[in-house]
Amino acid sequence: MATLRLAIARGLTPAIARTVPLALVLAGCGDLVGFGGPVTPLATIDINVSGDPMADAPRVALVWGAPYLIEPLCFLPPETPEVAAVLAQGCRDPFGFLPDRVGANAELVGSTAEISLFELPAADVMVGDVTARVAYGTFVLYDDRDGNGTLDLGRPRRPVSPDDEGPPGQDSVDIVRGASFVSMTEPDQRLAFREGAFIQTAFYPRAGCGAPLLAFSVLAAGGFTAQDAIAATLRGELPTEDPASCAQSPVEAAPIVITVRPPEEVTEVACTERRVDSSTRYRDPPVEMPDLTNRLLACAGLPDFGGGPSSDVIQLLVSSATDARCRGLTHYVLRGCDNDPNCEMPEWDLTATPPAWWPCPTGSM
Amino acid sequence: MRSVVPSLACLVLLALAPRAARADGTLLSDDTWNVTSCGCWTIDGGLVVGFPAALPTGLTRGIGGGVTYGHRFTAGARASWSTATESTPAWQVTQSDLRLRVTGGVEHIAGRGSLGLRLGLGGTLVHESRLRSQGMRAGLTGDALSTSAFAMLPALDIEAVAAVHVFGPWLLVISGGPTLDVFEGSGHGAWTAELGVAWQP
Repeated sequence: MATLRLAIARGLTPAIARTVPLALVLAGCGDLVGFGGPVTPLATIDINVSGDPMADAPRVALVWGAPYLIEPLCFLPPETPEVAAVLAQGCRDPFGFLPDRVGANAELVGSTAEISLFELPAADVMVGDVTARVAYGTFVLYDDRDGNGTLDLGRPRRPVSPDDEGPPGQDSVDIVRGASFVSMTEPDQRLAFREGAFIQTAFYPRAGCGAPLLAFSVLAAGGFTAQDAIAATLRGELPTEDPASCAQSPVEAAPIVITVRPPEEVTEVACTERRVDSSTRYRDPPVEMPDLTNRLLACAGLPDFGGGPSSDVIQLLVSSATDARCRGLTHYVLRGCDNDPNCEMPEWDLTATPPAWWPCPTGSM
Repeated sequence: MRSVVPSLACLVLLALAPRAARADGTLLSDDTWNVTSCGCWTIDGGLVVGFPAALPTGLTRGIGGGVTYGHRFTAGARASWSTATESTPAWQVTQSDLRLRVTGGVEHIAGRGSLGLRLGLGGTLVHESRLRSQGMRAGLTGDALSTSAFAMLPALDIEAVAAVHVFGPWLLVISGGPTLDVFEGSGHGAWTAELGVAWQP
Protein backbone atom coordinates (compact mmCIF):
# COMPACT_ATOMS: atom_id res chain seq x y z
CA MET A 1 0.00 0.00 0.00
CA ALA A 2 2.88 2.30 0.70
CA THR A 3 4.15 1.71 -2.79
CA LEU A 4 0.71 2.41 -4.18
CA ARG A 5 0.44 5.66 -2.29
CA LEU A 6 3.90 6.62 -3.47
CA ALA A 7 2.98 5.93 -7.05
CA ILE A 8 -0.15 7.98 -6.76
CA ALA A 9 1.72 10.78 -5.12
CA ARG A 10 4.50 10.79 -7.70
CA GLY A 11 2.74 9.96 -10.89
CA LEU A 12 -0.98 10.43 -10.86
CA THR A 13 -1.41 13.58 -8.83
CA PRO A 14 0.44 15.79 -11.32
CA ALA A 15 -1.57 14.22 -14.10
CA ILE A 16 -4.77 15.06 -12.33
CA ALA A 17 -3.49 18.50 -11.60
CA ARG A 18 -2.91 19.03 -15.30
CA THR A 19 -6.13 17.41 -16.45
CA VAL A 20 -8.58 19.20 -14.21
CA PRO A 21 -7.81 22.75 -15.39
CA LEU A 22 -7.85 21.53 -18.98
CA ALA A 23 -11.23 19.98 -18.40
CA LEU A 24 -12.55 23.15 -16.84
CA VAL A 25 -11.36 25.16 -19.81
CA LEU A 26 -12.82 22.79 -22.35
CA ALA A 27 -16.09 22.57 -20.47
CA GLY A 28 -16.77 26.14 -21.46
CA CYS A 29 -16.07 25.70 -25.15
CA GLY A 30 -19.60 25.09 -26.30
CA ASP A 31 -22.85 23.34 -25.72
CA LEU A 32 -23.72 19.95 -27.03
CA VAL A 33 -26.97 20.04 -28.90
CA GLY A 34 -27.26 16.51 -30.23
CA PHE A 35 -30.45 16.11 -32.18
CA GLY A 36 -32.10 19.06 -30.40
CA GLY A 37 -32.13 22.75 -31.06
CA PRO A 38 -33.81 24.62 -33.86
CA VAL A 39 -33.65 23.04 -37.29
CA THR A 40 -32.04 25.18 -39.94
CA PRO A 41 -34.34 25.69 -42.93
CA LEU A 42 -32.88 24.59 -46.24
CA ALA A 43 -34.28 27.71 -47.89
CA THR A 44 -36.51 30.62 -46.92
CA ILE A 45 -38.61 32.45 -49.46
CA ASP A 46 -40.32 35.79 -48.97
CA ILE A 47 -43.70 36.30 -50.63
CA ASN A 48 -45.49 39.56 -51.22
CA VAL A 49 -49.15 39.63 -52.16
CA SER A 50 -50.46 42.39 -54.38
CA GLY A 51 -54.14 43.07 -53.81
CA ASP A 52 -56.73 42.13 -51.23
CA PRO A 53 -56.93 38.34 -50.93
CA MET A 54 -60.49 38.59 -49.53
CA ALA A 55 -59.91 35.48 -47.47
CA ASP A 56 -60.83 34.47 -43.96
CA ALA A 57 -57.67 32.45 -43.49
CA PRO A 58 -55.21 33.55 -46.16
CA ARG A 59 -52.20 31.31 -46.55
CA VAL A 60 -49.52 30.67 -49.12
CA ALA A 61 -48.44 27.22 -50.24
CA LEU A 62 -45.48 26.01 -52.22
CA VAL A 63 -46.74 23.45 -54.72
CA TRP A 64 -44.33 21.30 -56.71
CA GLY A 65 -45.30 20.75 -60.31
CA ALA A 66 -45.77 17.57 -62.30
CA PRO A 67 -44.99 17.03 -65.97
CA TYR A 68 -48.20 16.98 -67.91
CA LEU A 69 -49.36 16.11 -71.39
CA ILE A 70 -52.98 16.83 -72.03
CA GLU A 71 -55.17 14.24 -73.71
CA PRO A 72 -55.40 14.41 -77.52
CA LEU A 73 -59.03 15.48 -77.76
CA CYS A 74 -58.20 18.69 -75.94
CA PHE A 75 -55.78 19.96 -78.59
CA LEU A 76 -57.19 18.44 -81.78
CA PRO A 77 -59.79 20.42 -83.76
CA PRO A 78 -63.25 19.46 -82.48
CA GLU A 79 -65.56 17.54 -84.80
CA THR A 80 -68.74 19.43 -84.02
CA PRO A 81 -69.85 22.50 -82.09
CA GLU A 82 -71.27 20.18 -79.43
CA VAL A 83 -67.91 18.53 -78.98
CA ALA A 84 -66.25 21.95 -78.91
CA ALA A 85 -68.57 23.01 -76.09
CA VAL A 86 -67.79 19.88 -74.06
CA LEU A 87 -64.05 20.38 -74.55
CA ALA A 88 -64.29 24.03 -73.60
CA GLN A 89 -65.90 23.07 -70.32
CA GLY A 90 -63.88 19.91 -69.65
CA CYS A 91 -60.34 20.59 -70.82
CA ARG A 92 -57.87 22.43 -68.66
CA ASP A 93 -55.28 24.88 -69.99
CA PRO A 94 -52.77 22.70 -71.89
CA PHE A 95 -50.01 25.13 -70.89
CA GLY A 96 -51.13 25.44 -67.30
CA PHE A 97 -49.28 24.39 -64.17
CA LEU A 98 -50.21 20.95 -62.93
CA PRO A 99 -49.64 20.38 -59.21
CA ASP A 100 -48.02 17.25 -57.91
CA ARG A 101 -47.92 17.87 -54.18
CA VAL A 102 -47.82 20.61 -51.61
CA GLY A 103 -44.34 21.22 -50.25
CA ALA A 104 -44.89 23.82 -47.54
CA ASN A 105 -47.42 26.29 -46.21
CA ALA A 106 -47.22 29.59 -44.40
CA GLU A 107 -49.66 32.08 -43.01
CA LEU A 108 -50.13 35.35 -44.82
CA VAL A 109 -49.51 38.21 -42.38
CA GLY A 110 -50.66 41.50 -43.82
CA SER A 111 -49.50 41.17 -47.37
CA THR A 112 -46.37 39.11 -46.75
CA ALA A 113 -45.53 35.54 -45.98
CA GLU A 114 -42.33 33.66 -45.36
CA ILE A 115 -42.05 30.03 -46.36
CA SER A 116 -39.23 28.03 -44.85
CA LEU A 117 -38.37 24.75 -46.51
CA PHE A 118 -37.14 21.98 -44.25
CA GLU A 119 -37.14 19.26 -46.87
CA LEU A 120 -35.86 19.03 -50.40
CA PRO A 121 -38.29 18.14 -53.15
CA ALA A 122 -38.62 14.40 -53.42
CA ALA A 123 -37.03 12.61 -56.36
CA ASP A 124 -40.41 11.89 -57.90
CA VAL A 125 -41.19 15.58 -58.39
CA MET A 126 -37.88 16.14 -60.13
CA VAL A 127 -37.43 15.58 -63.83
CA GLY A 128 -34.17 14.10 -65.07
CA ASP A 129 -31.67 11.69 -63.60
CA VAL A 130 -29.32 12.12 -60.67
CA THR A 131 -26.75 13.89 -62.84
CA ALA A 132 -29.16 16.52 -64.14
CA ARG A 133 -32.58 17.04 -62.66
CA VAL A 134 -34.83 19.88 -61.76
CA ALA A 135 -38.08 20.54 -59.91
CA TYR A 136 -40.34 23.54 -60.35
CA GLY A 137 -42.82 24.92 -57.89
CA THR A 138 -45.43 27.63 -57.78
CA PHE A 139 -46.56 29.67 -54.81
CA VAL A 140 -50.31 29.59 -54.35
CA LEU A 141 -52.30 32.13 -52.38
CA TYR A 142 -55.41 30.47 -50.99
CA ASP A 143 -58.17 30.78 -48.47
CA ASP A 144 -57.82 27.89 -46.06
CA ARG A 145 -61.54 27.23 -45.77
CA ASP A 146 -61.27 23.97 -43.85
CA GLY A 147 -58.63 25.38 -41.52
CA ASN A 148 -56.32 22.39 -41.78
CA GLY A 149 -53.30 24.60 -42.44
CA THR A 150 -52.47 23.22 -45.86
CA LEU A 151 -53.69 23.63 -49.39
CA ASP A 152 -55.88 20.70 -50.36
CA LEU A 153 -55.53 19.67 -53.97
CA GLY A 154 -58.67 18.76 -55.86
CA ARG A 155 -59.31 16.32 -58.67
CA PRO A 156 -61.91 16.41 -61.45
CA ARG A 157 -65.20 14.81 -60.47
CA ARG A 158 -66.48 12.30 -62.94
CA PRO A 159 -70.19 11.49 -63.11
CA VAL A 160 -71.30 9.41 -60.16
CA SER A 161 -73.10 6.17 -60.89
CA PRO A 162 -74.31 3.44 -58.52
CA ASP A 163 -72.01 0.76 -59.94
CA ASP A 164 -68.97 3.00 -60.08
CA GLU A 165 -65.67 1.78 -58.72
CA GLY A 166 -63.20 3.97 -56.92
CA PRO A 167 -63.53 7.54 -55.71
CA PRO A 168 -65.12 9.88 -58.23
CA GLY A 169 -62.76 12.75 -57.37
CA GLN A 170 -63.46 15.82 -55.35
CA ASP A 171 -63.11 19.54 -55.38
CA SER A 172 -60.89 21.23 -52.87
CA VAL A 173 -62.63 23.19 -50.16
CA ASP A 174 -59.86 25.75 -50.22
CA ILE A 175 -60.24 28.63 -52.64
CA VAL A 176 -57.27 29.68 -54.72
CA ARG A 177 -56.83 33.46 -54.97
CA GLY A 178 -53.63 33.70 -56.92
CA ALA A 179 -50.40 31.98 -57.88
CA SER A 180 -46.94 32.99 -58.98
CA PHE A 181 -46.95 30.46 -61.82
CA VAL A 182 -50.32 29.72 -63.38
CA SER A 183 -49.54 29.02 -67.01
CA MET A 184 -46.62 29.06 -69.41
CA THR A 185 -48.59 31.53 -71.54
CA GLU A 186 -48.39 34.14 -68.76
CA PRO A 187 -45.50 35.82 -66.96
CA ASP A 188 -44.46 33.63 -64.08
CA GLN A 189 -42.22 33.38 -61.07
CA ARG A 190 -41.35 29.90 -59.97
CA LEU A 191 -39.12 28.18 -57.46
CA ALA A 192 -36.58 25.84 -58.97
CA PHE A 193 -34.49 23.18 -57.35
CA ARG A 194 -31.69 21.98 -59.56
CA GLU A 195 -29.17 19.20 -59.04
CA GLY A 196 -26.27 18.57 -61.40
CA ALA A 197 -26.29 19.85 -64.94
CA PHE A 198 -29.30 21.53 -66.50
CA ILE A 199 -30.89 20.13 -69.62
CA GLN A 200 -33.72 22.08 -71.21
CA THR A 201 -36.69 19.78 -71.61
CA ALA A 202 -40.40 20.16 -72.21
CA PHE A 203 -40.96 20.19 -68.44
CA TYR A 204 -42.30 23.75 -68.12
CA PRO A 205 -39.66 24.91 -70.63
CA ARG A 206 -37.85 28.23 -70.45
CA ALA A 207 -35.97 28.07 -73.72
CA GLY A 208 -34.10 31.31 -74.27
CA CYS A 209 -33.60 31.87 -70.55
CA GLY A 210 -30.57 31.03 -68.46
CA ALA A 211 -30.27 27.82 -66.52
CA PRO A 212 -31.56 27.70 -62.95
CA LEU A 213 -28.91 28.16 -60.29
CA LEU A 214 -27.72 25.10 -58.42
CA ALA A 215 -29.95 24.11 -55.50
CA PHE A 216 -32.82 26.51 -54.86
CA SER A 217 -33.41 29.58 -57.02
CA VAL A 218 -36.24 31.81 -58.13
CA LEU A 219 -36.89 31.96 -61.85
CA ALA A 220 -38.93 34.42 -63.84
CA ALA A 221 -40.09 34.37 -67.44
CA GLY A 222 -42.48 36.40 -69.53
CA GLY A 223 -44.37 33.48 -71.07
CA PHE A 224 -45.06 32.58 -74.69
CA THR A 225 -48.22 32.48 -76.72
CA ALA A 226 -50.11 29.30 -77.49
CA GLN A 227 -49.60 29.94 -81.20
CA ASP A 228 -45.84 30.20 -80.73
CA ALA A 229 -45.86 27.01 -78.72
CA ILE A 230 -47.79 25.10 -81.39
CA ALA A 231 -45.57 26.42 -84.16
CA ALA A 232 -42.42 25.52 -82.23
CA THR A 233 -43.75 22.07 -81.47
CA LEU A 234 -44.49 21.45 -85.13
CA ARG A 235 -40.89 22.41 -85.87
CA GLY A 236 -39.73 19.96 -83.22
CA GLU A 237 -38.51 22.76 -80.98
CA LEU A 238 -39.37 24.26 -77.64
CA PRO A 239 -41.15 27.63 -77.56
CA THR A 240 -38.78 30.40 -76.59
CA GLU A 241 -39.12 33.06 -73.95
CA ASP A 242 -38.13 36.66 -74.41
CA PRO A 243 -34.64 36.77 -72.84
CA ALA A 244 -35.37 40.23 -71.50
CA SER A 245 -38.15 38.80 -69.36
CA CYS A 246 -35.98 36.06 -67.85
CA ALA A 247 -34.37 36.08 -64.43
CA GLN A 248 -32.55 33.55 -62.31
CA SER A 249 -31.91 34.66 -58.77
CA PRO A 250 -30.96 33.20 -55.39
CA VAL A 251 -34.04 32.76 -53.23
CA GLU A 252 -32.95 35.40 -50.72
CA ALA A 253 -32.53 37.99 -53.47
CA ALA A 254 -35.86 37.68 -55.24
CA PRO A 255 -39.11 37.88 -53.31
CA ILE A 256 -42.07 36.21 -54.93
CA VAL A 257 -44.96 38.46 -55.92
CA ILE A 258 -48.46 37.03 -56.16
CA THR A 259 -51.22 39.11 -57.65
CA VAL A 260 -54.73 38.44 -56.40
CA ARG A 261 -56.95 37.20 -59.21
CA PRO A 262 -60.49 35.86 -59.57
CA PRO A 263 -60.59 32.24 -58.36
CA GLU A 264 -61.92 30.93 -61.67
CA GLU A 265 -58.71 32.11 -63.40
CA VAL A 266 -56.32 30.35 -61.07
CA THR A 267 -58.16 27.47 -59.46
CA GLU A 268 -56.58 24.89 -61.77
CA VAL A 269 -53.20 25.25 -60.07
CA ALA A 270 -54.76 23.24 -57.24
CA CYS A 271 -56.27 20.56 -59.48
CA THR A 272 -54.43 17.31 -60.05
CA GLU A 273 -55.06 14.87 -62.88
CA ARG A 274 -55.51 11.13 -62.86
CA ARG A 275 -53.43 10.73 -65.98
CA VAL A 276 -50.56 13.01 -66.98
CA ASP A 277 -49.15 11.13 -69.99
CA SER A 278 -51.73 12.15 -72.59
CA SER A 279 -53.42 8.78 -72.37
CA THR A 280 -57.20 8.49 -72.08
CA ARG A 281 -59.10 6.33 -69.63
CA TYR A 282 -62.24 4.83 -71.18
CA ARG A 283 -65.14 3.56 -69.12
CA ASP A 284 -68.06 1.28 -69.74
CA PRO A 285 -71.36 3.09 -69.40
CA PRO A 286 -73.26 2.15 -66.25
CA VAL A 287 -76.64 0.49 -66.53
CA GLU A 288 -78.28 3.27 -64.61
CA MET A 289 -77.88 6.76 -65.92
CA PRO A 290 -75.19 8.59 -63.96
CA ASP A 291 -75.77 12.00 -62.46
CA LEU A 292 -75.13 14.38 -65.37
CA THR A 293 -76.42 17.52 -63.72
CA ASN A 294 -74.69 20.67 -64.99
CA ARG A 295 -72.56 18.62 -67.37
CA LEU A 296 -72.32 18.83 -71.13
CA LEU A 297 -72.51 15.73 -73.34
CA ALA A 298 -71.44 15.05 -76.90
CA CYS A 299 -70.88 12.04 -79.09
CA ALA A 300 -67.53 11.95 -80.82
CA GLY A 301 -65.22 9.65 -82.67
CA LEU A 302 -61.86 8.64 -81.34
CA PRO A 303 -58.86 10.91 -81.92
CA ASP A 304 -57.35 10.08 -85.29
CA PHE A 305 -53.71 10.88 -85.99
CA GLY A 306 -53.79 9.20 -89.38
CA GLY A 307 -51.42 6.45 -88.36
CA GLY A 308 -53.70 3.49 -88.99
CA PRO A 309 -57.16 2.38 -89.93
CA SER A 310 -59.85 4.69 -88.65
CA SER A 311 -62.01 3.43 -85.83
CA ASP A 312 -65.79 3.35 -85.94
CA VAL A 313 -66.09 3.45 -82.17
CA ILE A 314 -68.27 6.26 -80.89
CA GLN A 315 -67.57 7.66 -77.46
CA LEU A 316 -69.76 9.69 -75.19
CA LEU A 317 -67.88 12.70 -73.89
CA VAL A 318 -69.03 14.15 -70.60
CA SER A 319 -67.56 17.35 -69.27
CA SER A 320 -67.06 18.30 -65.66
CA ALA A 321 -69.94 20.18 -64.07
CA THR A 322 -70.24 23.89 -64.58
CA ASP A 323 -69.87 24.47 -60.84
CA ALA A 324 -66.83 22.22 -60.52
CA ARG A 325 -63.49 23.82 -59.73
CA CYS A 326 -61.46 21.13 -61.46
CA ARG A 327 -62.07 20.49 -65.12
CA GLY A 328 -62.13 17.03 -66.59
CA LEU A 329 -63.51 14.79 -69.30
CA THR A 330 -65.15 11.40 -68.89
CA HIS A 331 -65.11 9.02 -71.84
CA TYR A 332 -67.74 6.29 -72.18
CA VAL A 333 -67.59 3.64 -74.92
CA LEU A 334 -69.87 0.67 -75.44
CA ARG A 335 -67.02 -1.65 -76.26
CA GLY A 336 -63.38 -1.64 -75.38
CA CYS A 337 -60.73 -1.68 -72.70
CA ASP A 338 -59.54 0.88 -70.15
CA ASN A 339 -56.76 2.19 -72.38
CA ASP A 340 -57.94 1.28 -75.85
CA PRO A 341 -61.48 1.14 -77.26
CA ASN A 342 -60.13 -0.83 -80.22
CA CYS A 343 -58.54 -3.59 -78.17
CA GLU A 344 -58.90 -7.07 -79.66
CA MET A 345 -60.14 -8.64 -76.42
CA PRO A 346 -62.60 -6.07 -75.06
CA GLU A 347 -63.14 -5.95 -71.34
CA TRP A 348 -66.75 -5.00 -71.97
CA ASP A 349 -69.01 -5.06 -75.01
CA LEU A 350 -72.44 -3.48 -74.71
CA THR A 351 -72.94 -2.79 -78.39
CA ALA A 352 -75.74 -5.35 -78.55
CA THR A 353 -77.43 -4.19 -75.36
CA PRO A 354 -76.59 -0.55 -74.75
CA PRO A 355 -77.99 1.10 -71.62
CA ALA A 356 -81.38 2.67 -72.07
CA TRP A 357 -79.96 6.17 -71.46
CA TRP A 358 -77.13 5.81 -74.04
CA PRO A 359 -77.52 8.86 -76.28
CA CYS A 360 -75.04 8.02 -79.04
CA PRO A 361 -75.24 5.75 -82.09
CA THR A 362 -74.14 2.23 -81.38
CA GLY A 363 -72.24 2.00 -84.67
CA SER A 364 -70.22 4.47 -86.67
CA MET A 365 -71.29 8.09 -86.94
CA MET B 1 -12.56 2.19 -37.13
CA ARG B 2 -12.08 -0.09 -40.15
CA SER B 3 -8.39 0.74 -40.33
CA VAL B 4 -7.82 0.42 -36.59
CA VAL B 5 -9.18 -3.11 -36.21
CA PRO B 6 -6.87 -4.86 -38.69
CA SER B 7 -3.87 -2.92 -37.45
CA LEU B 8 -4.56 -3.86 -33.85
CA ALA B 9 -5.18 -7.46 -34.82
CA CYS B 10 -1.80 -7.55 -36.59
CA LEU B 11 -0.07 -6.18 -33.53
CA VAL B 12 -1.69 -8.79 -31.35
CA LEU B 13 -0.75 -11.61 -33.68
CA LEU B 14 2.81 -10.39 -33.97
CA ALA B 15 3.09 -10.12 -30.22
CA LEU B 16 1.61 -13.53 -29.59
CA ALA B 17 3.58 -15.31 -32.25
CA PRO B 18 6.90 -16.95 -31.31
CA ARG B 19 9.71 -14.62 -32.15
CA ALA B 20 11.59 -17.14 -34.23
CA ALA B 21 11.72 -20.76 -35.00
CA ARG B 22 13.54 -22.63 -32.30
CA ALA B 23 16.90 -24.27 -32.79
CA ASP B 24 15.42 -27.73 -32.58
CA GLY B 25 12.99 -26.82 -35.35
CA THR B 26 9.80 -26.77 -33.26
CA LEU B 27 7.59 -23.73 -33.03
CA LEU B 28 6.21 -24.57 -29.58
CA SER B 29 7.87 -26.02 -26.52
CA ASP B 30 6.81 -26.96 -23.01
CA ASP B 31 7.51 -23.50 -21.65
CA THR B 32 5.87 -21.55 -24.41
CA TRP B 33 2.77 -20.82 -22.31
CA ASN B 34 4.56 -20.22 -19.04
CA VAL B 35 3.77 -17.02 -17.24
CA THR B 36 7.00 -15.16 -16.97
CA SER B 37 5.96 -12.05 -15.17
CA CYS B 38 3.76 -11.01 -12.29
CA GLY B 39 4.91 -7.41 -11.96
CA CYS B 40 2.97 -4.56 -10.41
CA TRP B 41 2.56 -2.54 -13.56
CA THR B 42 0.19 -3.47 -16.32
CA ILE B 43 -0.27 -1.64 -19.57
CA ASP B 44 -3.23 -2.56 -21.69
CA GLY B 45 -4.98 -1.49 -24.86
CA GLY B 46 -7.84 -2.67 -26.98
CA LEU B 47 -11.09 -2.03 -28.73
CA VAL B 48 -13.79 -0.08 -26.97
CA VAL B 49 -17.51 -0.10 -27.57
CA GLY B 50 -20.20 1.56 -25.55
CA PHE B 51 -23.10 3.87 -25.33
CA PRO B 52 -22.28 7.48 -26.25
CA ALA B 53 -21.72 9.85 -23.38
CA ALA B 54 -24.17 12.48 -24.57
CA LEU B 55 -26.14 11.09 -27.49
CA PRO B 56 -29.48 9.53 -26.67
CA THR B 57 -28.88 6.61 -29.01
CA GLY B 58 -26.18 4.84 -30.94
CA LEU B 59 -23.08 2.73 -30.40
CA THR B 60 -19.75 4.42 -29.95
CA ARG B 61 -16.68 2.51 -31.11
CA GLY B 62 -13.01 3.17 -30.79
CA ILE B 63 -9.83 2.31 -28.95
CA GLY B 64 -8.71 2.62 -25.38
CA GLY B 65 -5.94 1.79 -23.02
CA GLY B 66 -4.56 2.36 -19.61
CA VAL B 67 -1.97 1.69 -17.03
CA THR B 68 -2.59 -0.06 -13.74
CA TYR B 69 -0.38 -0.43 -10.71
CA GLY B 70 -0.68 -2.97 -7.95
CA HIS B 71 -2.18 -6.29 -7.02
CA ARG B 72 -5.26 -6.88 -4.89
CA PHE B 73 -5.68 -3.08 -4.61
CA THR B 74 -4.96 -1.27 -7.84
CA ALA B 75 -4.72 2.26 -9.09
CA GLY B 76 -4.17 3.68 -12.51
CA ALA B 77 -5.25 5.89 -15.30
CA ARG B 78 -7.20 5.14 -18.45
CA ALA B 79 -8.13 6.85 -21.65
CA SER B 80 -10.27 5.88 -24.58
CA TRP B 81 -11.42 7.53 -27.75
CA SER B 82 -14.52 6.47 -29.60
CA THR B 83 -17.02 7.92 -32.03
CA ALA B 84 -20.66 7.46 -32.83
CA THR B 85 -22.64 8.86 -35.73
CA GLU B 86 -26.41 8.91 -35.75
CA SER B 87 -28.95 10.62 -37.98
CA THR B 88 -32.39 12.12 -37.92
CA PRO B 89 -34.25 13.64 -40.86
CA ALA B 90 -32.76 17.00 -39.84
CA TRP B 91 -29.29 16.27 -38.50
CA GLN B 92 -26.36 13.92 -38.81
CA VAL B 93 -24.59 14.07 -35.48
CA THR B 94 -21.13 12.69 -34.79
CA GLN B 95 -19.86 12.69 -31.25
CA SER B 96 -16.34 11.70 -30.34
CA ASP B 97 -15.88 10.75 -26.70
CA LEU B 98 -12.47 11.06 -25.11
CA ARG B 99 -12.86 9.32 -21.76
CA LEU B 100 -10.18 10.19 -19.24
CA ARG B 101 -10.30 8.36 -15.93
CA VAL B 102 -8.32 7.91 -12.80
CA THR B 103 -9.02 4.42 -11.55
CA GLY B 104 -8.87 2.45 -8.38
CA GLY B 105 -9.99 -1.06 -7.74
CA VAL B 106 -9.63 -4.46 -6.26
CA GLU B 107 -8.68 -7.71 -7.92
CA HIS B 108 -8.50 -11.36 -7.04
CA ILE B 109 -5.90 -13.54 -8.66
CA ALA B 110 -7.00 -17.05 -9.49
CA GLY B 111 -4.54 -19.31 -11.30
CA ARG B 112 -3.47 -17.72 -14.58
CA GLY B 113 -6.19 -15.15 -14.42
CA SER B 114 -7.61 -12.43 -12.31
CA LEU B 115 -11.02 -10.92 -11.65
CA GLY B 116 -11.50 -7.39 -10.45
CA LEU B 117 -13.70 -4.43 -9.99
CA ARG B 118 -12.51 -1.05 -11.20
CA LEU B 119 -13.88 2.34 -10.27
CA GLY B 120 -13.09 5.19 -12.63
CA LEU B 121 -13.52 8.84 -11.97
CA GLY B 122 -12.82 11.66 -14.34
CA GLY B 123 -14.31 13.33 -17.33
CA THR B 124 -15.45 12.66 -20.85
CA LEU B 125 -14.42 15.24 -23.36
CA VAL B 126 -17.09 15.20 -26.05
CA HIS B 127 -16.61 16.75 -29.45
CA GLU B 128 -19.81 17.09 -31.37
CA SER B 129 -20.16 17.88 -35.05
CA ARG B 130 -23.58 18.34 -36.55
CA LEU B 131 -24.30 18.32 -40.24
CA ARG B 132 -27.65 19.51 -41.53
CA SER B 133 -29.17 16.63 -43.44
CA GLN B 134 -29.51 17.48 -47.12
CA GLY B 135 -27.80 20.79 -46.40
CA MET B 136 -25.10 20.36 -49.02
CA ARG B 137 -27.68 19.47 -51.65
CA ALA B 138 -29.57 22.60 -50.70
CA GLY B 139 -26.45 24.74 -50.99
CA LEU B 140 -26.15 25.64 -47.32
CA THR B 141 -22.79 26.85 -46.07
CA GLY B 142 -21.21 27.88 -42.79
CA ASP B 143 -23.09 27.48 -39.55
CA ALA B 144 -26.28 26.79 -41.45
CA LEU B 145 -24.66 23.63 -42.78
CA SER B 146 -22.61 22.38 -39.85
CA THR B 147 -21.73 23.23 -36.29
CA SER B 148 -19.33 21.82 -33.75
CA ALA B 149 -18.92 22.04 -30.01
CA PHE B 150 -16.84 20.70 -27.16
CA ALA B 151 -17.93 19.83 -23.67
CA MET B 152 -16.31 18.13 -20.74
CA LEU B 153 -18.69 15.96 -18.79
CA PRO B 154 -17.86 14.73 -15.29
CA ALA B 155 -18.09 10.96 -15.32
CA LEU B 156 -17.97 7.87 -13.17
CA ASP B 157 -17.41 4.24 -14.26
CA ILE B 158 -17.69 0.92 -12.54
CA GLU B 159 -16.21 -1.89 -14.54
CA ALA B 160 -15.71 -5.56 -14.01
CA VAL B 161 -12.30 -6.64 -15.26
CA ALA B 162 -11.19 -10.12 -16.20
CA ALA B 163 -7.66 -10.93 -17.34
CA VAL B 164 -5.89 -14.12 -18.16
CA HIS B 165 -2.21 -14.73 -18.79
CA VAL B 166 -1.72 -16.17 -22.25
CA PHE B 167 2.02 -16.53 -22.30
CA GLY B 168 5.03 -14.67 -21.11
CA PRO B 169 4.11 -11.14 -20.08
CA TRP B 170 1.01 -11.02 -22.22
CA LEU B 171 -2.59 -11.11 -21.02
CA LEU B 172 -5.98 -11.07 -22.62
CA VAL B 173 -8.18 -8.51 -20.90
CA ILE B 174 -11.89 -7.91 -21.05
CA SER B 175 -13.76 -5.31 -19.07
CA GLY B 176 -17.12 -3.62 -19.02
CA GLY B 177 -19.72 -1.96 -16.92
CA PRO B 178 -21.98 1.01 -16.44
CA THR B 179 -20.91 4.61 -16.71
CA LEU B 180 -22.50 7.81 -15.59
CA ASP B 181 -21.89 11.15 -17.28
CA VAL B 182 -23.27 14.37 -15.91
CA PHE B 183 -24.83 16.13 -18.87
CA GLU B 184 -26.93 19.27 -18.68
CA GLY B 185 -27.23 18.97 -14.94
CA SER B 186 -28.48 15.43 -14.86
CA GLY B 187 -27.00 12.00 -14.99
CA HIS B 188 -26.77 10.22 -18.32
CA GLY B 189 -26.41 6.51 -17.87
CA ALA B 190 -24.42 4.51 -20.35
CA TRP B 191 -22.16 1.52 -20.58
CA THR B 192 -18.75 0.72 -21.93
CA ALA B 193 -16.81 -2.42 -22.70
CA GLU B 194 -13.29 -3.13 -23.81
CA LEU B 195 -11.52 -6.14 -25.26
CA GLY B 196 -7.78 -5.97 -25.50
CA VAL B 197 -4.37 -7.21 -24.56
CA ALA B 198 -2.17 -6.25 -21.66
CA TRP B 199 1.52 -6.31 -21.07
CA GLN B 200 2.75 -7.02 -17.58
CA PRO B 201 6.54 -6.80 -17.40
